[in-house]
Amino acid sequence: MTVQAAPSVSAQFPIRFTGDPRAYWRLLVRGAVLLMLTLGIYRFWLITDIRSYLLANTEVAGDSLEYSGTAIELLTGFLIAVAILLPVYVAFFLAALDLGPLGQISGVAGFALLFALGQYAVYRARRYRLSRTLYRGLRFHQEGSALRYALCAVLWWGAVIITLGLALPWKESRLERFKMRHTFYGDLPGRFEGRGLSLFLRGLPLWLMVMLPLALAASAIAQALDPEAVSDVLARGGDDMLARLDAINPELVAALGFAIAATSLSVALTLLLWPAFQALRLRWWASGLRFGPLTLRSHLSTVSVYGAYLRFVGYVLLFLLALALGAVPLLAALGYLLQDGDVSILREAAAALLGLGGYVVAMLGLATLYRATVMLALWRLTVETLALDGLDAVAQVRAAGRAASPVGEGLADVLHVGGV
Amino acid sequence: MTIGPGVFYDGLTSARHDVAVELDQTALRVTDAQGRVLAQWPYAELESLSAPDRLLRLGRRHSKLLARLEVRDPALIAAIDERAEGIDRTGALARRQRGGVIAWTLAATASLVLVAWFGVPVIAEKLAPLIPAGLERKLGAAVDMQTRAMLDTRNAGAGFECGHAANERTGRAAFDKLIARLAPQAGLPIPPQPFVVRRPEANAIALPGGSIYVFEGLIDKAQSPDELAGVIAHEMGHLAHRDGTRSVLQGAGLSFLFGMLLGDFVGGGAVVLAARTVLQSSYTRDIEAAADAYAVDLMNRVGGDARALAAILTRIGGATEPGMKILMDHPDTRLRASIITARARGATGAPLIDARDWAALKRICG
Repeated sequence: MTVQAAPSVSAQFPIRFTGDPRAYWRLLVRGAVLLMLTLGIYRFWLITDIRSYLLANTEVAGDSLEYSGTAIELLTGFLIAVAILLPVYVAFFLAALDLGPLGQISGVAGFALLFALGQYAVYRARRYRLSRTLYRGLRFHQEGSALRYALCAVLWWGAVIITLGLALPWKESRLERFKMRHTFYGDLPGRFEGRGLSLFLRGLPLWLMVMLPLALAASAIAQALDPEAVSDVLARGGDDMLARLDAINPELVAALGFAIAATSLSVALTLLLWPAFQALRLRWWASGLRFGPLTLRSHLSTVSVYGAYLRFVGYVLLFLLALALGAVPLLAALGYLLQDGDVSILREAAAALLGLGGYVVAMLGLATLYRATVMLALWRLTVETLALDGLDAVAQVRAAGRAASPVGEGLADVLHVGGV
Repeated sequence: MTIGPGVFYDGLTSARHDVAVELDQTALRVTDAQGRVLAQWPYAELESLSAPDRLLRLGRRHSKLLARLEVRDPALIAAIDERAEGIDRTGALARRQRGGVIAWTLAATASLVLVAWFGVPVIAEKLAPLIPAGLERKLGAAVDMQTRAMLDTRNAGAGFECGHAANERTGRAAFDKLIARLAPQAGLPIPPQPFVVRRPEANAIALPGGSIYVFEGLIDKAQSPDELAGVIAHEMGHLAHRDGTRSVLQGAGLSFLFGMLLGDFVGGGAVVLAARTVLQSSYTRDIEAAADAYAVDLMNRVGGDARALAAILTRIGGATEPGMKILMDHPDTRLRASIITARARGATGAPLIDARDWAALKRICG
């Protein structure tokens, strides 16, 4: 009787990604077309397909992961979430009718409440996803109170906003520690050992490069601004505002010009440094994960991440070219439909539909390109550069945890904080 | 082939078992290296799970344990495929299931769009009378405050209304007389509160809760009391049909359908916006047509000349209106005028207010 030998894997990097990119493209393109035709209803099937593909093709020490979730579960979770949130939205609307001080606060309070609800949903959605991730016949699972997580997240996000982003490393480490402390593979408990300080030190140069032009812009305006003169000009309004502003407060106009240039530089730097930041954060996060005696270390290279983004940009340019070529017959059709002055309503409808269709195709196309290039590449690069130490522990884990309900995913979907 | 190698996970621990898979008559048997039977799964209960391409990952349906059997040998996979109905490596079964899903989702989308097109106005119409008066008054007060803030761009406050200054009071009295000719016959659920305000546009609006704002520009353009009365009667029509509340309900219904249920994908925001705009305009066109009909009937009842409404609409509206027909929230002016004229009965009896009052009314804003 023959037994099956385990396929050989590299000793240092025991994770392999075996997916065929063409299959992924086909999956995404079909999904995009159906998303458009079903006005979004198809998304539950698309998300399930994507997760199945990514997990099934990730092979850890010879055995691939498995996604056991179904689209019907996601749909059910969504419908339940709609039933839960609809009264909340109605209550907001009715509260807004009671004007006065309560009404003023309700806008801000409403936003904060929805944000907290979103974080609650994110935690519960993660619980669903983990419990549907299987390895060697055992589930991952997540415990812990979503409410506590939501409060934690709201406080830390507040800190991030107040410090203009400087507190982000500590927010990440704190929230990851919370999540991983309550994450298990079978009965193997998880931990997070990444330190906020190390992410901060590595990310500080990037932050400075982006923030410095903005700070210079702000100080230039502050020095040149004459508040009384400006408020006077604004109050009177009119078309020649800029000219009058120039007469009264000429340094301000020059400062505004400088500020616009500096802000553009800041935006350009953000775009250029984004892949570096992504690589930095992924590397730091993956290197901090632990499961019992199992440790992970990421060797993700920043250059490879830049490569992924550059491929994306290349595809986008090609796509835009194709769109421009495709727009010619589209515009011709629109022109024909709307030519004579008094056009029937049916023709108007056809024209509007064509225009709208063109826009949606463009947006979905860009999103699909992003998923197929950047997101797939980041997944593959991250898993294939993960060094695992203490893998023997994985062979003796016992089953634990139950399947979690998909309501969390549904809530995240309705609140638009859900991800793939 | 009836026997081959496989890998088995029993779902209790993560230990990997290299096993032999035997295909019996009705079931599949998994034995380990020591000859122990680890599992026996009937073919009818086999299901194929998400796995990489060249791997067949089998599980047992309705099992509490997440036991998995993984087979890589192509011949063995083919043999299992043959015996088990639920397993189909050619993909035909999966394609049929996916086809069903696609058909179902397309049908669901179509029916939700139809509900938005037809169902929402009907439901709003049925629900509007059920809204308690207190809530409608609150809504009215809120909308009133916001509307005033929007219209009163110079922050004139009380001076925004015409009819309070010494030289305007006779105008206000004449205006009240005109209203008094219309209101008793109007049969409104809530008493109307009409104001004339200093806005140059030739327009009038009615808000839920009963406020009617007549703009100075309309008074200037009106050439007879019947014309002004016709427009006011149209606005009263909105109040009688509770159109303000209905619009709010329709807006909420549309918001729910296109927003919460549909449109959640990249680029979907534009679709949602377009759908809501188009549908909202079409609902509003119907509402305006109904208000026109009400105005004509009211003018007929009080003995005024409803054709004057057609006249002033044509004068204000102009020959051709700019903008796409789909987005217009009023029906085409010529169409309105012809419908109104057909339904009107012509003036009977005394004019609504006499010439002196009319002259005073024309000067209501000083």
